[in-house]
Amino acid sequence: MGVATYEPSLPFDDPRHLAAHRFLVEEAAILDAADWARWLELVTADVRYVMPVRVTTVSDAGYDARSDMAHFDEDRYALAKRVHRLLTEHAWTEDPPSRTRHLVTNVRTFPGPGDEVRVESTVLLFRSRGDREPEWLCARRDDVLRPTADGHRLAARHLTVEESVLRTQNLAILL
Amino acid sequence: MTRGALIDDVVGEIARGMIPAYVYSDADVFELERDRVFGRAWTFLAHESELPDPGDYVVRRVLDDSFIVVRDESGRVRVHFNMCLHRGMQVCRAEVGNASHFRCPYHGWSYRNDGHLAGLPFHQDAYGGDDGLPRAAQHLLPPPRVDMVDGMIFVSLADDGPSLAEQIGEFAFYLGMYTRQSPDGLELRGPQRWRVRANWKIGCENFVGDMYHTPYTHRSVVDIGLFREPKAHKRKEGALYFAGTGGGTTYKLPAGDFRERMRYVGYPDEMIDRAAGSWSSEQVAMVATDGFIVSAATLFPNLSFVHNWPQVDDDGTVVPFISIRQWQPVSATETEVLSWFAVDRNAPEQFKRDSYRAYLMCFGSSGMFEQDDVENWVSITKVSLGSMARRLRLNTRMGLTAADEPINPRIGGFSGPGIARVGYSEFNQRNWLTLWSSHLAGGPIERTHPLGT
Repeated sequence: MGVATYEPSLPFDDPRHLAAHRFLVEEAAILDAADWARWLELVTADVRYVMPVRVTTVSDAGYDARSDMAHFDEDRYALAKRVHRLLTEHAWTEDPPSRTRHLVTNVRTFPGPGDEVRVESTVLLFRSRGDREPEWLCARRDDVLRPTADGHRLAARHLTVEESVLRTQNLAILL
Repeated sequence: MTRGALIDDVVGEIARGMIPAYVYSDADVFELERDRVFGRAWTFLAHESELPDPGDYVVRRVLDDSFIVVRDESGRVRVHFNMCLHRGMQVCRAEVGNASHFRCPYHGWSYRNDGHLAGLPFHQDAYGGDDGLPRAAQHLLPPPRVDMVDGMIFVSLADDGPSLAEQIGEFAFYLGMYTRQSPDGLELRGPQRWRVRANWKIGCENFVGDMYHTPYTHRSVVDIGLFREPKAHKRKEGALYFAGTGGGTTYKLPAGDFRERMRYVGYPDEMIDRAAGSWSSEQVAMVATDGFIVSAATLFPNLSFVHNWPQVDDDGTVVPFISIRQWQPVSATETEVLSWFAVDRNAPEQFKRDSYRAYLMCFGSSGMFEQDDVENWVSITKVSLGSMARRLRLNTRMGLTAADEPINPRIGGFSGPGIARVGYSEFNQRNWLTLWSSHLAGGPIERTHPLGT
């Protein structure tokens, strides 16, 4: 829903926030470099990556996204297939490749559960494809990051995209 | 070019299998389509499973005409033109919800969900009550014709013409392969909606019969082991059929009986038993005897279907899915895609979950098949805009010799109606385009009844 219960985030100088924020910035650099194989290493084996279909509803409807239909509803297998496809020589829609900038801002970090942290952020994706008009996607991210010996790993990402009708040719990229 | 010359050019060139490239972006062609295709043909709006309870509604379009599709308090599905009778405001600006009434935000006229005007402010003061505005006679404008088949709700914006059943014709046989896997039919989820800078016809033509693109456009999904079928040598063994106002593609299944072949594409036994009981003996025979199972299809004008069976895990588990999609024109060069996941209502819950995942991986806004399709269609549309494209006639003669003889004969004894042929050809695209061009040539729609209340 548009109105979430307010929960104060960790102070911006909290080491947990700094580590989470750094993860998101590093991840954005990997996505913008189209370094898909490296990105796949950043997600956990039990990852859930979901982007529900947003719907236009009256303000007291009680929902503004579909509970049973998503643009992405991915586990590790599905994400790995997407990455492996992009790494073939035959993923035509990304050849020539998109040029993307993932602008990740408004980062707020919340502790728990356990060692994990929940991170709320905004992603604004600029996508340029050849000579065509660029495409934009804007979404809120609600992530769960899990600390490991090798640094944080993405255990869950819930994307609340702001459009009911996406103005993009496809979702061959990741947010 | 005058309108008459344009129509003559399109009809004549399509008749010889050479498609004027400009039809994929020309503004005059689009105006003709608006009037003579979408002003006439039965067009899909929604599926009744999207409206399970009284008051449930969705708002859908036929080009620029907005319609509320709603289940009224008596359980009947109604379609209302989404425009207030008073000053023309949209009475519903959400796309989905539940409402007993729709109230216009401009002056407060409110309508029951069956369309009747329930109330308006100052009826007595402003209109002298029923003397000036007889309230009981006022209701939101219905489209000229509404009808349903297999739970799918269609409208026609023409007062007269073929019925929905007549329009669909013998394609109903193939429609049932998707919609009647059990007597209770489908439930739909979605749609995903996104806009692509492509002409609406290209998706229709692709789904109606383009088996030839599958091995090449979709090579990456074979490379990664997501879908094992569309290798070139396997795809050409499929049959193409065209019947009534629809056509589609199939895959040839390995040897086996009905159960073995349905298992091959991933159906559990209880669904196979229900399909065997729900489908006609001829529909069962298309799988059991002929060995073909439906894949992509298009029903004229702009509704397509797909049925595939990818591998959904590293163990190689194969699960089939169905998607219904509409190519909703926005302009000559832009299309809104509405893509639903569809599954038999009586399917086991685990199957529904797995089938949904299979759908998301393959089709829809993020689907790994669909991504590469749309890339082609956007590119075609863009390059069709120029003066060189006006000179080019696209070769759509596959399956014909220079003397117009078919290269592959029709299948004798095929279980389904219409004409079916094995192998690569463009009979279906030509049939679809011929239907389309016959609508353009069919003259303007005469609106015999005044549309108003």
